[in-house]
Amino acid sequence: MVNEREGDGDDALVVRMGQGDEEALRELIIRHQDRVYGTVARMIGGAGPDAEDLAQQVFLRIWRAAPTYRARAKFTTWLMTVTRNLVFTFCDNRSKRLVVSDVVLDEEGEEVEGGQESVMERNPRDDLSGKELVQAVRLACAHLPKKQRLVVHLREHEEMEFSEIAKVLGVSELGAKSLMFRARENLKNRLAEFFTEPS
Amino acid sequence: MKKTRDEGGDGLGPQLGRLWAADPVAKAPPWFAAKTMARLRREEDRKRGWFGLPRWVLLGAGAAILAVGWLRWDSQPSVADAELFAALDAMVEEDRESRWWAGL
Repeated sequence: MVNEREGDGDDALVVRMGQGDEEALRELIIRHQDRVYGTVARMIGGAGPDAEDLAQQVFLRIWRAAPTYRARAKFTTWLMTVTRNLVFTFCDNRSKRLVVSDVVLDEEGEEVEGGQESVMERNPRDDLSGKELVQAVRLACAHLPKKQRLVVHLREHEEMEFSEIAKVLGVSELGAKSLMFRARENLKNRLAEFFTEPS
Repeated sequence: MKKTRDEGGDGLGPQLGRLWAADPVAKAPPWFAAKTMARLRREEDRKRGWFGLPRWVLLGAGAAILAVGWLRWDSQPSVADAELFAALDAMVEEDRESRWWAGL
């Protein structure tokens, strides 16, 4: 999680970027590349050229917006808002092209033969290898609506507060919590057979 | 201390949280920063034209030169026009003489 000192550093870097300092951008990229790339990859269903392209676009947008940057919230909130805009546009365009989304991606982001059936036909307790579990989680994640997917990622992985998540998504705090609740219910239904004991 | 997502029931909960964490989040490739910086420079260069001026300035200047040139050319009668009118006058005169000669 980004502490206050790092947060201050981010604002200073953006001010330097606004003055045309490319070295400041490089520092900012190194500091936040895993956060942005990881979020993009989680949202679009895996790492790869698309994730790389989108993550690069996030930093280029930050660079262009730097001269007019006003620190109204934490830098990471702004960074995630820019990421959200690009990723949601990408998801919308992709969903127009692809109707069927029942695919399973392997660890390299490649499509796996068989998709959902290969995961669900087996009893997970008989053969619950790490890879199968990963596939099932990815599939469940892919079936979440994009806002729910982002809320879960920001909460579980980035450990953001709901007030920040609400700003990223442009909803109320209650709305963000409601999205989290619905995501939890969806994931429970999809991953029910992987539960080791009733919850 | 790391906050557990169970607190207040606002996270995925312990079991779902563990399942979710089974799929690790991807990390940026090692070349990511270098490639992004190269892309930035490429895009900045594309926006610039000759002499380090932005492309829109050069395009605007070019369009202004063409517009001024066209207006100046259009407002002056050309030699070609004068010759054309003289030739037409001569033809009319010749036709009038021919009709007189023929007693028309």
